[in-house]
Amino acid sequence: MRRWTQRTHLAGLVALTLTACAPAEHVPVRRGMAVTDDAGRRVTLAVPARRVVSLLPSFTEILFAIGAGDRLVGRTTWCDYPPEALAVPSVGDGMPPSVEAVAARHPDLVVLYRSGPNVAAAEQLERLGIRTVLFDLNLVGQLGPAARRLGVLTGQGKRADSLARVMDSLASQPPAPSTQSLAFIVWDNPPIVIGAGSYLDRLAALAGARNVFHDVSSPSAQVSIETIAARDPDLVAVLTDSAVPPRYATRPEWRVVRAVRTARFLFLPGQLFGRPGPRAAEAIRELRRRLEAAP
Amino acid sequence: MKYGLLAAALLATFAAALLLGPANVPLGDVLASPILWQLRLPRAVLAFLVGGALGASGVALQALVRNPLADPFLLGLSGGAGLGAVVAIALHLPGPWALPLAAFVGAVGAMALVYRLGLIGGAELDARILLLGGVAVGAFAAAITTAIVSLAEATELRNAFLWLWGGFSGASWTTVLVILVYAPLPLIVLAAAARPLDLLALGEEPAQYLGADVRRLKRLVYLSASLLTAAAVAVAGVIGFVGLIVPHVCRLLWGRLHRTLFPTAFLAGGILLTTADTLARTVVAPRELPVGIVTALVGVPLFAFLLRRWTVS
Repeated sequence: MRRWTQRTHLAGLVALTLTACAPAEHVPVRRGMAVTDDAGRRVTLAVPARRVVSLLPSFTEILFAIGAGDRLVGRTTWCDYPPEALAVPSVGDGMPPSVEAVAARHPDLVVLYRSGPNVAAAEQLERLGIRTVLFDLNLVGQLGPAARRLGVLTGQGKRADSLARVMDSLASQPPAPSTQSLAFIVWDNPPIVIGAGSYLDRLAALAGARNVFHDVSSPSAQVSIETIAARDPDLVAVLTDSAVPPRYATRPEWRVVRAVRTARFLFLPGQLFGRPGPRAAEAIRELRRRLEAAP
Repeated sequence: MKYGLLAAALLATFAAALLLGPANVPLGDVLASPILWQLRLPRAVLAFLVGGALGASGVALQALVRNPLADPFLLGLSGGAGLGAVVAIALHLPGPWALPLAAFVGAVGAMALVYRLGLIGGAELDARILLLGGVAVGAFAAAITTAIVSLAEATELRNAFLWLWGGFSGASWTTVLVILVYAPLPLIVLAAAARPLDLLALGEEPAQYLGADVRRLKRLVYLSASLLTAAAVAVAGVIGFVGLIVPHVCRLLWGRLHRTLFPTAFLAGGILLTTADTLARTVVAPRELPVGIVTALVGVPLFAFLLRRWTVS
């Protein structure tokens, strides 16, 4: 414990010295390295973070996209993009985070997704003197603000701002005129579909496909097969890295759904579509291409 | 009169289950609609059979352990089923039948273990040992389940739990066939045990003096009731409450003779669960509620009403 305290004091001292010596434009004193995270906590750093642990693949992608990838000293086992991320040591699956494994990387900033177990882990890390920041990241509209604040904390404000502008414009764009309708079916028994409060719903809208469960406001919902059949989507989108129709496709009760019966499946690789990230625009282009190529 | 009401409830239940749903099927086309034949009818029939199996199983177990709190899932079966399902997912067992089959195997395994515990020290399925053994085996299985869940990949297991919490989303004629294959034999055994079970209510020794083979009776009833419950788990997951409440409701309405209790509990359990499932898929449409929640929401007020009437009179 004492060592951690000393370390922070040392960091403060270094920061003071730097502020004294460095040319003014390099040190954003006025803004400080300070942001408010999505848990409503004020997160301040004396100097831009140099040793960052990211506990969500989306944050890892954002950090690389804003040019802070070389500061990463820890990631989760799920962080597989960009390929350079694989060279960063893993601290486990992050569900929930192993506080010891994270602390062992001696980070000066840990980026976490705001969830119950992660809030508890962040508190434990703070007690060890490690700064943490918690972000929501479920929607396209949350990408910009997260990128901007990560930019502030890593001193990569400029690149983060330009990424954030692209993300913000994706969030505010009116949906493309839809030519086809689709349903994202993520589980078959019980059937679970993606609703409006999700990243994928927005991607589909921007790619020109109407999610037939757009009226469900939550990110996902359990529905009956009959409801899916009644909504009659043109396509069934499946998050999978293979191109094999899901197992339920041959079952008689599922064949009542027209898109299942006619095998109109859209296979979306999880790495690109399964998580919100800076490649949202790429994902939309790819989805549009797949919609046009759909049988 | 009571039987007439039961028949009317049965008809109304099936009419509602077949006519209500998110898909708008015009009345004239109902008989030609795949929505009816492939989705609504197998689902209603499955819910009815599972409800019936749980109701009859509850009657048998409450008579066996002579404890009004006994429930088909109190004797460790739900814990065993959960463990089986989670193991199937963690090992990536392929095929649509892996999960139900593994849950069935888990439930039967837990049953065998509790049964073995019930025979310890020459005790002949002592009710107290059965209950304690069931709780202990259930807790042990739950601990292993939690260990696997916390060590394995999360998303698939979360969905496994959704399945395990019970429901009829996956109903098809195949699942109906599964329970039609399993259920009749234990049901026949239980029906044949109706008279000796009446004697058992007087206590084990009196029952023995009155000519019941108590030892054999207890073994047969325990195995039959557990197999019924395990079959229900295999097709619909763990649906609590039906097996606990339905026997009490039937006892309040029809008395304590098992000759009438078994058929009425089967019908009432079926009616309760089919109605609950119809509500589950229509009340919050387009979404769906877990059926176990609806069973409790419908069943508890009904039960409270009957209990009040019973204590007043």
